[in-house]
Amino acid sequence: MDKVLVFVETKGDEPRKASLELLCEAEKLAASGRFSVEAVCFGTMSDALREKLLASARKLIRFNDPELAVYSPEGYARALAGYAAETGARMIVAGATGTGRDFLPRVAIMLGTGMVSDVTGANWFDEPMTFVRPMFGGKVFAEVAFPASPVVVTARPNSFAMDIPEGIKGEYEERTAGSLAGAIHTRVVRVEETKGDAVDLTEADLIVAGGRGLKATENFKLVEELAAAIGGTVGATRSVVDAKWRDQADQIGKSGKTVSPKLYIGAGISGAIHHIMGMDTSKVVLAVNRDPNAIIFNYANYGIVGDLFEVLPAMTEEIRKRKERG
Amino acid sequence: MNILVLVKQVPDPEALIEIAASGKDLNVEPKFAVNLFDEFALEEALRIREKHGGTVKAISLGGPKAIEALRTAIAMGADEAVLIEDEAFAAGDGYNTALALSRVLKKETFDIVLTGRQAIDADRGEVPQMVAQFLGLPHVGVVVKLDISDGKAVAESSLEGAKEIVEVALPAVFTAQKGLNEPRVPLITGVMKAMKVQIPRIAVEDLGLTKDMAAPENSKTRIVRYLPPKKRPAVQIIPGEAREAAAEAVRILIDVERVI
Repeated sequence: MDKVLVFVETKGDEPRKASLELLCEAEKLAASGRFSVEAVCFGTMSDALREKLLASARKLIRFNDPELAVYSPEGYARALAGYAAETGARMIVAGATGTGRDFLPRVAIMLGTGMVSDVTGANWFDEPMTFVRPMFGGKVFAEVAFPASPVVVTARPNSFAMDIPEGIKGEYEERTAGSLAGAIHTRVVRVEETKGDAVDLTEADLIVAGGRGLKATENFKLVEELAAAIGGTVGATRSVVDAKWRDQADQIGKSGKTVSPKLYIGAGISGAIHHIMGMDTSKVVLAVNRDPNAIIFNYANYGIVGDLFEVLPAMTEEIRKRKERG
Repeated sequence: MNILVLVKQVPDPEALIEIAASGKDLNVEPKFAVNLFDEFALEEALRIREKHGGTVKAISLGGPKAIEALRTAIAMGADEAVLIEDEAFAAGDGYNTALALSRVLKKETFDIVLTGRQAIDADRGEVPQMVAQFLGLPHVGVVVKLDISDGKAVAESSLEGAKEIVEVALPAVFTAQKGLNEPRVPLITGVMKAMKVQIPRIAVEDLGLTKDMAAPENSKTRIVRYLPPKKRPAVQIIPGEAREAAAEAVRILIDVERVI
C-alpha cells in the first residue's frame, strides 16, 4: 500500500481548516484500500486537539522534538522529509497555507523530487497522478502530471470538501526526529499577532470585502457589521489598502491574498483584474455597486445595482432578523 | 555586502492569456514586465547597498527576451546582471528552475539572496525555498522588513494573521512581499546605462546541465494541458429598491444557495 503523509497544522486546540480538509480527502484515499494515511504533527498538543485529530485520521504521528515547538522552515522540512524517506512515503500533502507553502519546497528538494503548489483539484488514482492548479492569478488553470516520486503537494484551502468521516478512532504515536538543533539556522525572536482569533481570509468560508465605493475608512464599519452578522471575515481591495483604510493583511488580489470562500460579498468594488485574480475561485459571489456597468458584475452570480450605504445595513438587519427567527 | 537578486520576466499583469492548440499551449500577449515581487527584492537590495556598501547583481533565467528584465534591474541601479539563457529550463518546472539558478549561485560569493515571494505567471512560490535548499542555506519567506547588521539579518515575515521576527546568520535567502518598500522608478541616467551595458549570458551546459533535463518527459512534473477557469453563469441582478433587494439577496443566500 502506498503511504500518504498529511502534514497537519494546528493553532491552539484546533487543527487548521486546510489540514482538516486534506485529512477528509486522505480518508477517501485510505477507504479505497490503495493508500495508507498518516497525519503528521509538530509541536505541543493538548488532549483536546489529539482527540479531534484522532477522530479524523487513522494514524497520528507527533514529533515531540523541542526544536519543533516553533516553526522553522529548515527544522520542519528536515523532520517531515526525514520521516517520509524513512517510511518510503509515496506522497506528502499539506495545506497551501503560509507555512505549508514556505517549507514544502525544501521537503521536495531533500527528497530529490519536485512539487505542485496550491492545487485546487487532484486525480489521485491516475498514473501518473495529475493535479489542477491556477496560474496567472487564475486566468488559466494547468493540469500537471507528477511522474516523479514521492509526490509533494500543497492544496489551496477550501478546495476539498470537509466531509468529516464517522467512526474513526485513530492510533497515536510520538516520535523524535533528532539532530535538528544543528540544522536550524533561523531563530524566531518574537511573534506579533495582528489578527487575533479571526479566521484568516485564505481559509474563510464567508467574506465581505469593500472597495473605494466605501469612500472613507470609517465607513468600513458597514462591511464589518455585515461580516459579523454572517460570521465572516473582512477583505479589501488594493486601492483601499494603499489609501491606508485597511491593513495589508486584508488585501485580496494579485499582490495580496487569494481567497476561495463559499460566499464572497463585494461592496463598492469596481472589479479591477488585480482584485478578480484574488477572488475568482469563490463559490458564490454577490456584488453590490451603484454602477450597473461595474466589471465585478461579470464575475458575480448575483448583483445588486444600488447604493451600498443602504444595501449593506439592510442586509445586516435582515440577516439578524432571520437569525432571531432561527 | 554582495547581494544577488533573482529576477523573472513575466507577462504584464494586464496581458491577455489565451489557451491555444486545444489546451496544449498558451498564447500570451507580448507585453512583459519584471515580476512585481522581484521589484521589491531589487529595491531592497539597492537600499542595503546604499547603507552597507557592496554590489548588487541581478540574475535571471529566461529566453532572449528576459534580458529586458535585467536591463530594468540595471536601470534601477544594479551593478551587474547575468542571464541564464535557456528556453527549455525557463519553461520548466520549479525543480529545474531552482536547479539551474542554484548552479549559478554556487559560482558566486554572496551574503544575501533576495527575490520575490512568487512569480505572477506560474504562481508557484516554490523556487526561492528550493534554491535555498539546493545551496544548504536558510531562508526567510514573505519578508516585509529587513535589517542587516553584524553579519546577520533580522527579518519580519508576514505569515497569515501574524508577524514573525526572525533572526538569521548570513548568507541567507529572503523572499520579498508587498509592503517591504516602494520600488524606485529608474532615473534617465540609469536607463541610458542599462541600454549600453553588455549583459553576459550563460548556457545551461556551462552549469553542468543539459537541455534535455528540462524536457517535459524528463521533468519531475509537467504540464499536460491548460484549462479555462470555471465559467460563472451570467449574473442575476436582484431587482427592487435597496431594502427590497437586500432582503431578497439574504433570502437567496440562506434558502437557495445555503451559504449562510
